[in-house]
Amino acid sequence: MNNQVTNGASKSKRISKKPQYSRFTQQELPAWKPILTPGWVIASFLAIAFLFIPIGLVSLFASERVVEIVYRYDQDCVPEMYRGNVTAYIQNSLTNKTCVENITVPKKMDPPIFVYYQLDNFYQNHRRYVKSRSDKQLRSAAYEYSTKECEPKERVNTTPVTWVPIVPCGLIAWSLFNDTYNLIMEDKVLDINKKGIAWKSDKNVKFGSNVYPKNFQYGAPIGGGKLNESIPLSEQEDLMVWMRTAALPTFRKLYGKINTSLEAHDTITVVLQNNYNTYSFGGQKKLVLSTTTWIGGKNDFLGIAYLTVGGICLFMALNFILLYVFKPRPLGDPSYLSWNRKTVS
Amino acid sequence: MTSNRPSLPTPGSTGSDLSSSTSSNNSDNNQIPNLHSLQNSSSQLSIKSNSWRASVNFGSKGVSVADSEGFSISRREINEDDARLVYVNDPLKTNETFEFCGNSIRTGKYSVFTFLPRNLFEQFHRVAYMYFLIIAILNQLPQLAVFGRGASILPLASVLFVTAVKDAYEDWRRHKADKIENNRLSSVLVNDQFQHKRSKDIQVGEIVKVSADETIPCDIVVLCTSDPTGVAYVQTINLDGESNLKTRYAKQETLSRVPGKDVISGLIKCEKPNRNIYGFQANMEVDGKRVSLGPSNIILRGCVIKNTDWAVGVAVYAGRETKAMLNNSGAPSKRSRLETHMNREIILLSFFLVTLCIIVSACAGFWLRRHQDELDIMPFYRRKDYSKEQVENYNYYGLGMEIFFSFLMSVIVFQIMIPISLYISMELVRVGQAYFMIRDDKMFDAASNTRFQCRALNINEDLGQIKYVFSDKTGTLTENKMEFQFASISGVDYSGEKIEFYGEQGGYNIQVDGQVWRPKMKVQVDSKLLKLSKTRNDTKSSKEIYDFFLALAACNTIVPIVVNTSNPNEKLIDYQGESPDEQALVYAAAAYGFMLIERTSGHIVIDIQGERQRFNVLGMHEFDSDRKRMSVILGYPDSTVKVFVKGADTTMFKVIDESLNLSVVKSTENHLHSYSSIGLRTLVVGMRALSIAEFDTWQTSYEIASTALMGRAGLLRKVAVNIENNLSLLGASAIEDRLQKGVPEAIESLRKAGIKVWVLTGDKQETAISIGYSSKLLTSKMMQIIINNNSKMSCKKSLEDALVTSRKLINVTRASEDDASSVALIIDGTSLVYILDSELEEQLFELASKCAVVLCCRVAPLQKAGIVALIKNRTDDMTLAIGDGANDVSMIQMADVGVGISGQEGRQAVMASDFAMGQFRFLVPLMLVHGHWNYQRMAYMILYNFYRNALFVFILFWYVLYTGFTLTTSITEWSSVLYSVIYTAIPTIVVGILDKDLSRKSLMTYPQLYGSGQRKESYNAKLFWVTMVDTLWQSVVVFFIPLLAFWESDIDSSSLGDLWTLAVVFIVNIHLAMDVIRWTWISHASIWGSIIATCICVIIIDAIPALPGYWAIFNLASSGLFWICLLGILIASMIPRFIVKMFMQHCKPCDRQIAREAEKFQNAMEITRNGEIEMNLPHR
Repeated sequence: MNNQVTNGASKSKRISKKPQYSRFTQQELPAWKPILTPGWVIASFLAIAFLFIPIGLVSLFASERVVEIVYRYDQDCVPEMYRGNVTAYIQNSLTNKTCVENITVPKKMDPPIFVYYQLDNFYQNHRRYVKSRSDKQLRSAAYEYSTKECEPKERVNTTPVTWVPIVPCGLIAWSLFNDTYNLIMEDKVLDINKKGIAWKSDKNVKFGSNVYPKNFQYGAPIGGGKLNESIPLSEQEDLMVWMRTAALPTFRKLYGKINTSLEAHDTITVVLQNNYNTYSFGGQKKLVLSTTTWIGGKNDFLGIAYLTVGGICLFMALNFILLYVFKPRPLGDPSYLSWNRKTVS
Repeated sequence: MTSNRPSLPTPGSTGSDLSSSTSSNNSDNNQIPNLHSLQNSSSQLSIKSNSWRASVNFGSKGVSVADSEGFSISRREINEDDARLVYVNDPLKTNETFEFCGNSIRTGKYSVFTFLPRNLFEQFHRVAYMYFLIIAILNQLPQLAVFGRGASILPLASVLFVTAVKDAYEDWRRHKADKIENNRLSSVLVNDQFQHKRSKDIQVGEIVKVSADETIPCDIVVLCTSDPTGVAYVQTINLDGESNLKTRYAKQETLSRVPGKDVISGLIKCEKPNRNIYGFQANMEVDGKRVSLGPSNIILRGCVIKNTDWAVGVAVYAGRETKAMLNNSGAPSKRSRLETHMNREIILLSFFLVTLCIIVSACAGFWLRRHQDELDIMPFYRRKDYSKEQVENYNYYGLGMEIFFSFLMSVIVFQIMIPISLYISMELVRVGQAYFMIRDDKMFDAASNTRFQCRALNINEDLGQIKYVFSDKTGTLTENKMEFQFASISGVDYSGEKIEFYGEQGGYNIQVDGQVWRPKMKVQVDSKLLKLSKTRNDTKSSKEIYDFFLALAACNTIVPIVVNTSNPNEKLIDYQGESPDEQALVYAAAAYGFMLIERTSGHIVIDIQGERQRFNVLGMHEFDSDRKRMSVILGYPDSTVKVFVKGADTTMFKVIDESLNLSVVKSTENHLHSYSSIGLRTLVVGMRALSIAEFDTWQTSYEIASTALMGRAGLLRKVAVNIENNLSLLGASAIEDRLQKGVPEAIESLRKAGIKVWVLTGDKQETAISIGYSSKLLTSKMMQIIINNNSKMSCKKSLEDALVTSRKLINVTRASEDDASSVALIIDGTSLVYILDSELEEQLFELASKCAVVLCCRVAPLQKAGIVALIKNRTDDMTLAIGDGANDVSMIQMADVGVGISGQEGRQAVMASDFAMGQFRFLVPLMLVHGHWNYQRMAYMILYNFYRNALFVFILFWYVLYTGFTLTTSITEWSSVLYSVIYTAIPTIVVGILDKDLSRKSLMTYPQLYGSGQRKESYNAKLFWVTMVDTLWQSVVVFFIPLLAFWESDIDSSSLGDLWTLAVVFIVNIHLAMDVIRWTWISHASIWGSIIATCICVIIIDAIPALPGYWAIFNLASSGLFWICLLGILIASMIPRFIVKMFMQHCKPCDRQIAREAEKFQNAMEITRNGEIEMNLPHR
């Protein structure tokens, strides 16, 4: 039948263009074709249920073990006479900010006990705020002048034309939290260890050991805490903690650790310096003492969520068992194909 | 039988050329050997408009307009403004007036300097890239800088870079090919001497000499050739893929001049360069005479001279203006149905995007308003900049502007809601799918050594949704390899037993100089007839048989070519010609001992039963579609003169003198009827001896006519009509055009798949119906409705009757629940003339949609397109047209998907098609297997990409609600950018290329599975909404589980961002993994690899000290809460999806699901029960 091919064609004939066979080009690579049979469906639901319910219980249990004392002090610590004009009180550097309160330990707390401050309604994740920092400047003294990103807290004008950079620059550093807590139990000062509250990576790499604060909180308005200009940034752990900006508008930050245990019904006297201004924008301040477990702080949500998911899966497993028992369908039966069904009916 | 073709323009028209005036005749017209089928049918198409997409009118008017226009153009004088003047052998003068381009070609698009700007310019023509660009530019404004410079430009830059590298490589290859082409040497007349010149230096007007087997360097008008009559044989395989020889003529006025000795000068006035390779019109002024030139006088660049020692011509078009180069454009672009639907959903997504942006900017406005007194003080806002001399607002432009900026910023942050990367992924996936379609060895045609070709790269998935297939017959359903079957000679039917000759000894052969010459193709012969033809005596029947076969051997335009074989003592005679019917007849004559061994324009040599005889060819009247016959006037060695005529029965019986032998005529008519009823193509042969007086009259008028300058074709036709009469009937031949392998099975599969197959053919009704039966398109149970009318009124009536009948029948069928009987509609072109483009179209559509089968016979090319348009414009169903000839081009371009068969009839159809293949039966694997896969893959990929991008955007959106509506992202900007580039891009592409929902075997066994594509089961509005609801749920889970778990904790923004990044990438990939059906090592590698790559990227990003999130992931991973969150997110997000999927699988299983289960669990059983439809028989 190929008699009509001419010379030219018969030449190319010798070089056949037939695609070379390979399992790849013919799309016949060995493949695993999982099909979820009823057995697998039930098994996977049961497996999830049996995995999730215990995890949920363990998490709940862990969360229950956490002892947590939360004490909101921003309102209590404003003297009666200033209640009408809180902003004036907090902005006045002459007013006495010291505030003394007692708190009771509800349950035995084992060390380490973490001391946090919690701010509510403080948008540390606000776009203007998170951008206003210079990681370069924090890391090395050589980049002292890279303050471009730090506006509006980038520099101090010495004369109309010359300026010196602020180290650390930016809104985040400027707004450093500066309330202080002293805990006294039975007339003894509870030692709050403020070492090791920042990440090691921050101390070692991110904050330079040759970078010293300069021109910080110089001139009004003052946003928050001041820094000791003789200590390099790599030792300023409060700053490091503060500069790890929080993800959510309600957040805690580590203040320090207590390495002694507290017994139930112990009364602790908190002597705090209420310096930080959250009043002007309706924020809240809380002091938190908490133990931790593997799950972190007190949080029942995950435990409940796991129990719910586990429960749903258990329920679905039962449902599917009933479905398969009362309404079975043979797998791959061609009589269920739509065109076969039509002719049968 | 009436012809639907309009009558030819009257003779006497100006400037008409011999062959361009042979009328439009489509190649399906099986009665007559088509001498110029290709030239004419295509000139009809392309003259109308040089672009491939001519706007056409399908009705009767359209046909005639197209036809007559084709002629009118060839008759029309070339307008002075549109002409190019070529001074023969005077390139200086030729080129001084106009700047014709030189012969150097440049297919490369770019040079080193223009590459960057030009490539970028071309790339930015795409909407997707413009979107990227606009977003990137917005981001550069300081007020809107959401992302850093690098991060915002990276996605665009990477895409641009990859594309540019690809383009540069392709261009470099083109440049290399150009160089070789441009430096090829050819022989050019310089100062009356032929000298070698590099191809690129040839100029228009120069005289070029081409020797045998050389490629023509540019388009030349033939001046003279080695043949004394000025014939040159060319092979156009490089141009249109046709391997047979075509004849080109030098004009008598020039053929006697030998370049170098005689002065050649003249002026050629020809049309502007165009891409119609089958049309050319010009005239030449030589010695004050004006000669018209047509397509048979020009040899195009890329052709090869064969069988001719040399040819000399003058270059008229060079370089990029040659027709070959002008035709070097890509395939037409169509947009797939799925993509059209997808664009609708993308509009919805942009509504989502705008809604999200409005919510964010409105909330931001309210927030700012509520806190407007506090803004100066808030440590995290600090509106005022106190560091300057004057306290002024810092980055605050008033409430209105802030809201506006929030809106723009949210557009930047949520930009990937519009899955622009999807367009790029789709392109990649289609390339991958095309790779596998091309390399499918089930679609390789061994006979023609052709692979499947994907010419259009953007409608792969349409192949999975076809509802209507429009098929040509000749060359598509049939092989278009003609085989001589039966002969009826003087009323005797020779259709007895056949002997087939095989092996060395078999077949007729002759001895020439001690060598054995045999015809290249073997023909089955009738033993009785063979015996009769060998006995030479003076009986009447023996003489009639002699004349009959002599007519077959002589009355044609076939050129015998002697081909060497491996055996030095044996040579094969290869009959070359443009018409496969003629080839079959000449081979048949050779088998009966009448072997044509030499043909020049003046004589032929036929070896008759071992005795060489030389006949003078005194004149030849070529085929035209008006006469539908051709004739040759032979001068016998004994100087008697006879005219032999062969042609279609309709026209032949008019010129046969029935009075000579009425009974012979009657019985021949009966035989013809029986032949055509079994699907054979018939021809009638007649002859007449000419008296000397008759011959002289003829010769004078023939010479006058053939040298006439005005209306030559008309005059020649008149001469032919005068001589072709009072013929005595010699007999009739029947040629079988065999059905291609696997056609009935393929049609059966297509029908089972719910695809309606319509056959549109130029053939006679009887032939069409018989092919319909043999291809199982028609069955005896079907009721046939035949519409065959000559007026609009009668058409209307028969349509109405047919509608009533079919309604009745369908009601009966429904009642009896017997779907075996159905309606077949058979309609002819004449009726269609009245129906198409009139108000009857609606009725035809209604009728046709009720019919299981529609056969249209005697239809013209534009009517074919009209029928496709009939369906396409009225339904939402997808149409596919398949054909092989130039007459199918309009249909192929009209249909949603056009498939070309790269067969015998040249490459016109292939060049216009979206896909091309060797055999009709490959349609089954193409549509049922690849089409199905492509559709499922692409549909899934689109939905998945919507989901993937929307999920990410929703998570960003939820977070924005907790940041004072300020568009902070806790996910680092680099992760945002890499999300659709690295984290999730590859698995979806891999799955889009490789995943198969069902095996090839299942799809072939149950063609009904194809219905899922027709019903749009894998992509529809409902699925879109379900996907979006699922997306919303998953985003809630991903976002709020960590949020609630880490509420009131000391988590920092980067850590939580890392958790979200990992969670979203994990669930997006697990989501895909749950839907993967076939896990090959590649899918494993891509899915798990992406997850690992994401982890690595997150680690790398967090190991950069300059970023605020330094070391976050390590701190995070050391806490138990992180892992618990991650696990919880993964399971909780997937559970609703899993439950619904499992429930649907059990209670409402789709066919694909059952077939998939069957594949796994009942494979062995199924095959034995149903038997296997083996579509791919081993090749011969």
